[in-house]
Amino acid sequence: MERASSSNDAFGLLGLPAQFDLDPAVIEQAFFDKSKELHPDRFASSPAAERVAALSRSRALNDAYQVLKKPVPRAEYLLERAGVKIGDNEQLEPGFLEDVLEMREELAEARVAKRISHIGELRTEMAARRKNIVDELPQLFQANSFELIKQRLILLRYIDRYLEECDAALDEDS
Amino acid sequence: MLMQISEPGESQVKEACKPRVVGIDLGTTNSLVAHVEDGGPFVIGDDPIVPSVVWYAPSGGTLVGRKAQQMAVEEPGRTLASVKRLIGRGIKDLDSVRAMLPYELVGDERAVRVKVGGRELSPVEVSAEILKELKTRAEQQLGGAIEGAVITVPAYFDDAQRQATRDAGRLAGLEVMRLMAEPTAAAVAYGLDRGSKGVYAVFDLGGGTFDISILKLVEGVFEVKATGGDSALGGDDLDRSIAQERFAADMTSGDRHRIGKAVARARTLKEQLTSIELVDGQVDGMSRDDLRRIAQPLLDKCAKACRRVLKDAELAKEDLDGVILVGGSTRSPVVRDFVRVLFGREPLSDLDPDQVVALGAAVQADVLAGGKQEVVLLDVVPLSLGVEMMGGVVEKLIHRNTTIPCGATETFTTYADNQTGFDIHVLQGERETADACRSLARFTLRGIPPMIAGLARLEVTFLIDADGLLKVMAKELTTGKESSIEVKPSYGLSDEEVERMLLESFEYAEEDLAKRNLAVERVEAERILAATRQAFVVDAALLTDDVRTAGEQAMTALETAMKGDDYVAIRHAVEALDVATKPFAQLRMNRAIEAGFRGKTLEEAEATVSHAHGLDAAHSEAVRRADAREGGG
Repeated sequence: MERASSSNDAFGLLGLPAQFDLDPAVIEQAFFDKSKELHPDRFASSPAAERVAALSRSRALNDAYQVLKKPVPRAEYLLERAGVKIGDNEQLEPGFLEDVLEMREELAEARVAKRISHIGELRTEMAARRKNIVDELPQLFQANSFELIKQRLILLRYIDRYLEECDAALDEDS
Repeated sequence: MLMQISEPGESQVKEACKPRVVGIDLGTTNSLVAHVEDGGPFVIGDDPIVPSVVWYAPSGGTLVGRKAQQMAVEEPGRTLASVKRLIGRGIKDLDSVRAMLPYELVGDERAVRVKVGGRELSPVEVSAEILKELKTRAEQQLGGAIEGAVITVPAYFDDAQRQATRDAGRLAGLEVMRLMAEPTAAAVAYGLDRGSKGVYAVFDLGGGTFDISILKLVEGVFEVKATGGDSALGGDDLDRSIAQERFAADMTSGDRHRIGKAVARARTLKEQLTSIELVDGQVDGMSRDDLRRIAQPLLDKCAKACRRVLKDAELAKEDLDGVILVGGSTRSPVVRDFVRVLFGREPLSDLDPDQVVALGAAVQADVLAGGKQEVVLLDVVPLSLGVEMMGGVVEKLIHRNTTIPCGATETFTTYADNQTGFDIHVLQGERETADACRSLARFTLRGIPPMIAGLARLEVTFLIDADGLLKVMAKELTTGKESSIEVKPSYGLSDEEVERMLLESFEYAEEDLAKRNLAVERVEAERILAATRQAFVVDAALLTDDVRTAGEQAMTALETAMKGDDYVAIRHAVEALDVATKPFAQLRMNRAIEAGFRGKTLEEAEATVSHAHGLDAAHSEAVRRADAREGGG
């Protein structure tokens, strides 16, 4: 994979190497340092053209940070950079799909029955699965296994959707 | 200790030609204005708290602040309070509070208006009156025109509420340099004053809004990690809850006057329970535990928002280095105890929770005017932004807690053959369906050549600026047809309305000082006439014939003076009325004080004293103001 990053991609804007494995503290520090340089407040008394330019530079920086700060969007971004697209109607591997469908059913039942503690358990279980998958990503990126990464990211979309539903169900209660 | 960005020499040069700017906390209950000088921020005025209350005189003039508050007792129908709860809202958003407001609401789903003495006013116009008063105060104290202002808004205000606040600033003749989130402003004041570093939660419970923000304060940068809250939850709601329980008959009477009084009594009770555990009394008695119980449903809502914001920030409460209290409602021990238990630590309140927001806004105004910048502020969008898709589902383009300024682009396509227009419905909120989110704007991109479904490519771009305000652009890629909209007119005023009002206010601003003074004196005179007439009726028994005759003559003289255009003559007539009614005002005062010792409830006695005092104080204040002006000019 290409390690160098041009100035108009997210890694380049933050002055970071284009790789998945990045320490969150390093990403944050890079963002803070660049923000001190580029934030529109620093150009508040500059001529109008400069202010407009500062605004769009700062916007690009913030958008880049949004993409890179969390592992999953960062992985999706790296995948896209490598020319691998995730479509809207991607299918899960059959084994995973069955699993997810089963857990969804269980959640729906718990939701109807208002078994709140059970929803909490389901959420914890799914969050643990999510963590395992995310923890695997650095290795997969090391090996440039883009097709496998793609499968994981599709699964993560399902999982995140599931976690959102758990949260909504827990929210209804409190 | 903090990073200094500008060179010392450079900052001195800038200091000399820096425009005169202020920070304004436009609150639901109270407003303040602050300014930075010699490196430090300070609030303006001996009594810096200006109640966010506006009284509309029959002539169309206004009084703002404490004087307007006094008028609320006599003329509730002409006195507007808590309009911040209405700004940027449609009438449907207000269904729950509508019946309990002391004034009547009109308008439509898009923009609410308030009925005052036969006029219909936008909350934007009313807020502009408060801002004008703050501007005038600042100009008097700082000795010159105010060239810019940072106005604070609740972090959880949506786009419509922010736009409307900005319009109010423009309408008041202010150059709005920035809209700033209230908890962020508080963090700036705290961080700079105390040199705080680490991760802090700012718990900001005001009169009508609740914000909870989590900020990381490091060398040179204050970053909002996540924000949440409820833009219709505050001390006002607690007052109403108390009133509904204690004065149920008043609250369901449908009589706005009675409701207003019941809510005011409830507020007094609540405030008394800040310093004492128990208020004695058959009807008005209440303990702090009663208050705790009544407040519980509101505090539960706060707790829920706090839990969500911690989750959004991916933090546990143990990760926090401190919890900062902001807003008048956090003075209550009931709220403090709640925060202590919720976060498991003693909250910080060593800076005045009423002033801290204005102070932080002043610091930011100074930075934007070219002052020394010690920290860069990174704030966020409080609520997700998106567009409506087929079937009423919302597709989010920008997620909540994204650092501003920011942007996002998404491509959509047609769902029907030969579709020649795209309807774009812009929404804000976290819910998945369009009808559960706040509708910000609708617009149509027309003139697309007929194509089969799915072939056209519509590129929608959302841009959010440093004020957190949204602009939406749409472009059909196969034809290059473009359309853009600043998401503006929906809930505030239309552009034309703002332009018209601005023109009017510029005309007003260009009038000479004498005309302006004339307007001020006339309003003041009107108020004093109304108050005196009412006192003459209510306390006729205390009037001697001599005083009555002298008072009536003085009132006639004042009315005559008001018809003329000599403001000095009006002022003198007001002073003469003051002298003529002095013995009467003195009697009223004495009686009120006596009543206090004759077994009336404390609250009744206080109300009577402040009422009697109101008449007298209004007079002496008018005289004092007049003296000050003559001395100064």
